[in-house]
Amino acid sequence: MIEVENLGKTYVEEPVVRDLSFFVPEGQVLGFLGPNGAGKTTVMRMLTAFLPPTTGRVVVAGVDLDKDPVALRRNVGYLPENVPLYPEMRVDEYLRFRADVEEVPRAEVRERIDDVAEQCLIADVSRQVIGTLSKGYRQRVGLAGALIHRPPVLILDEPTVGLDPNQIIKVRELITGLGRDHTVLLSTHILPEVEQVCERVFIIDRGRIVADGAPDALRTKLVGNPTVAVELAGADGAATEALQRLPGVVAVSEQGEGHWLLEHGPDADPREAVFHLAVEKGWVLLGLSPEKATLEDVFVRLTTREEVAVVERAEEVSHA
Amino acid sequence: MRKTWAIVRRELIAYFSSPLAYIVMTAFLLMQGYIFYLIVSFLNNPQTPAMTPLRLFFGGTIFFWLFLLFVVPVITMRLIAEERRSGTIEVLLTSPLTEAQVVVGKFLAAMVFYVFLWLPTVLYVLVLMRHSEIDLGPVLAGYVGVLLLGFLFLAVGTFASTLTDNQLIAAIIAFAVMVVLFSIGLVEQLMMSSGLKAALGYMNLWTQMDDFSKGIVDTRHVVYQLSVGVLFLFLAAKSLEVKKWR
Repeated sequence: MIEVENLGKTYVEEPVVRDLSFFVPEGQVLGFLGPNGAGKTTVMRMLTAFLPPTTGRVVVAGVDLDKDPVALRRNVGYLPENVPLYPEMRVDEYLRFRADVEEVPRAEVRERIDDVAEQCLIADVSRQVIGTLSKGYRQRVGLAGALIHRPPVLILDEPTVGLDPNQIIKVRELITGLGRDHTVLLSTHILPEVEQVCERVFIIDRGRIVADGAPDALRTKLVGNPTVAVELAGADGAATEALQRLPGVVAVSEQGEGHWLLEHGPDADPREAVFHLAVEKGWVLLGLSPEKATLEDVFVRLTTREEVAVVERAEEVSHA
Repeated sequence: MRKTWAIVRRELIAYFSSPLAYIVMTAFLLMQGYIFYLIVSFLNNPQTPAMTPLRLFFGGTIFFWLFLLFVVPVITMRLIAEERRSGTIEVLLTSPLTEAQVVVGKFLAAMVFYVFLWLPTVLYVLVLMRHSEIDLGPVLAGYVGVLLLGFLFLAVGTFASTLTDNQLIAAIIAFAVMVVLFSIGLVEQLMMSSGLKAALGYMNLWTQMDDFSKGIVDTRHVVYQLSVGVLFLFLAAKSLEVKKWR
């Protein structure tokens, strides 16, 4: 659906995006993750034919950006950062305007407006002036505008910024729903969002992709095996060795008096075995908690290194 | 066409939902009312030299020019500068719209508003027609002149609005360019060389408007005002194309 080859953008000798290549298959929800200034917005602006790339090729839904930028825009619904809207217009006036400029067939305009208003939960404010709406509503009005021409590809730049937790949940549910019949590319710097919404993640830093894969695959690949923290009372010196022998445990490290950290395979869960072992040996089990490395760790690790090496890409997500 | 018209409509909604439109309309009607008063008192004065008093409507007074020079930038300053400031330009230019369509749509909206300003003055003409003999030819030519001048100045304003994301700066640029265009003709008197004098005379907007108000529709004036206007619209589209690259 989205094909990018050697995409680059240079502003006054300063490369902002360097040699980016990736492919997004139809129907995938892809997260663009990166610190501020990593080049996320610039990439999105190039994919929507707002900015011309300095180098490289972009093909969206079969249309080459170089050959026909206006046709490419027809295939893309774009919600820019901070959701720019016309505050003096009413919601339905705005959607009508968007339908007209996005070339929605005249006969379908009314129906589409009703559809997106319902889909984005804004039907109740359709006669309100946009300037008087809350941030959450405005966000959804912007999203409705981007959806009005039923584009195969949706590009959303930080769609949940500035919303309260309830609104964030609503917008996320909406995006998840959209992923069923759109290819969605969204950028964010909120990590849990990516884990909840996206099937695949790019981490971008200084204009490069430093990681690419499913959130889970990235976590395992980049942080290593999941771990379980164990706290025991009355355990003797042989405990480390005994824990090591449990099925699925890959490595054990003693973290100080009575504390151990078990590293185990991605599919194994040694907690039950730890419990039975403690019972058998007469140790008192004080704590047993899985410590899943979060994407946060991956993110920090990847984007704070002095010189970021391009990490080998995790297996292509098998959604294609 | 439909897309351009959508922009015109949106822009008109924006005009009439801001107090600025009403302030401009009020000021315009006050000024025209005063000029109408002058016309009526001329007509009531038996010592008035023979002239067509309605010429006063169309560029015969300095008020007309002052008003145009001040108000046209106010009409056009918001057009594209505000889109750039608020970021909505990004939404517009990621829709299947060309820069030219955006510029033309915005400009047409300004033109519609300008025509709307002049509309009530038709009433004055009707009132005068009831009470005296009016030669309609010069009146129509006068309106043609008003429209052409509006075309030229609004195009300048639209161009100025693409240059910045600050409305005030856009207005000041428009004002400066319009003053230059307007005063080219006034500089005519200072020129010694006859060639230069003729060239500048050709560009004298004051005398052009004067001709229109006398009922003379000179194609040279029409061509001059239309072509300069189109040039500025073209520049506006180009400027929009270049600006979004940064």
